[in-house]
Amino acid sequence: MATGMNKYVKYGLVLLLSIGLILFTQEIKLLKNPESTPVTAMTLYGLVTLWAFSMIGIFVSDLMQHVRVKFIRDFPILGWVSLTSLVFCLASDFFVQAVSAVDFLSITTPILTFAGISVANRLVDLRKTSWKIAIVAIFVFTGTYVGSALLAQLGLFLAGN
Amino acid sequence: MKGNLLYLIAFALIVIFVAEMIGFQMLPIGGFTIGLLPLVFAIIITMVLGLKIFRKGFWKKVYSEGNINFSSKYLIFIMLPLMARYGADVAPHIREILSIGWVFIIQELGNLGTVLIGLPIAIMLGLRREAIGATLGIGREGELAYISEKYTLESKEGRGVLSIYIIGTLFGAIFFSVFAPILMDLGIQVEALAMASGVGSGSMMSAASATLVATVPDMESTILAYASASQLLTSFLGTFTMVFLAAPLQQFMYKLMVRGEE
Repeated sequence: MATGMNKYVKYGLVLLLSIGLILFTQEIKLLKNPESTPVTAMTLYGLVTLWAFSMIGIFVSDLMQHVRVKFIRDFPILGWVSLTSLVFCLASDFFVQAVSAVDFLSITTPILTFAGISVANRLVDLRKTSWKIAIVAIFVFTGTYVGSALLAQLGLFLAGN
Repeated sequence: MKGNLLYLIAFALIVIFVAEMIGFQMLPIGGFTIGLLPLVFAIIITMVLGLKIFRKGFWKKVYSEGNINFSSKYLIFIMLPLMARYGADVAPHIREILSIGWVFIIQELGNLGTVLIGLPIAIMLGLRREAIGATLGIGREGELAYISEKYTLESKEGRGVLSIYIIGTLFGAIFFSVFAPILMDLGIQVEALAMASGVGSGSMMSAASATLVATVPDMESTILAYASASQLLTSFLGTFTMVFLAAPLQQFMYKLMVRGEE
């Protein structure tokens, strides 16, 4: 990207690319399965809403860098965007309806496409890790997920759900 | 640079097209069913084509240094609309989530499972100080920062956390998307699995909740609401759980297990 471009313009363009890919994915999903979430005017409003919430979240995150509490400064930008969206969606049901017209699974495929490309240079780093750590990794990931799932299951049981 | 970016976008469109055309596949393996989502195909295709041996001629334009840097630098921004979507998923369920808020908080403690299960395995395999870094958590940015501050990344502990970070970055999403339905087969409620999906990494959480949605489409709104609420909570509480619970527990267990060795 051109240097010297305002960083918010840059973010705005990247987000535009992101929602564009989501729309593309949702269209392809429809091509494969006409029963999946249709692309309507609401979908377009939903995509614009997602774009706007993301931008606001970025601004909020930048503003929070001036707060003295380290814990707030460290709160990830991803979290600020979710919180921004939550606040707006609690305020108006319109946002909920618009965003729901965007197919969830269509949002995930483009992200993982870029995630795959972004690690292209890191595959060689695998050589630096050992098979022992790889085995440990399986148990570490299993540990956090199963641990949380079992406690959640117990909690839901006690809560009577 | 600008021109190469167009190659990248065109390539992304083709990958998405192929991945979506393959579609969601359910594979029965033994008594279990694993689900393979388009996102899994997308990450596998892009990872395999990105191998250095393929990077010649035309591919070099797609996987140019600039494009790879663009992807890793802006991945987080490409992910933002997903995070915005989660807010809309939580909002309609907010009362229900607050009413069982304590369950969400309790399940955060499940993140200690990395130490409880991972550490004994690591010690058994003969790892020592690497194990500290490797089992403190799932090796995301929070743990990386903590370990590098306390031990530096050049130390054995540092190598442990970096290894988990690399493995998680490469295979985390694939692992969770395949693993989640297996637990459902074992009889754990989908609501509990949705809550557990908030492991603290955006792509891993998306992968875990996405397979749940694909497996039980009728529960989509509940699954996404619970997963995102739990993810938000992990971003708030994760650091505290790590510093005040996981790290002391790990030290205690480590000393107990390697007693008399040093």
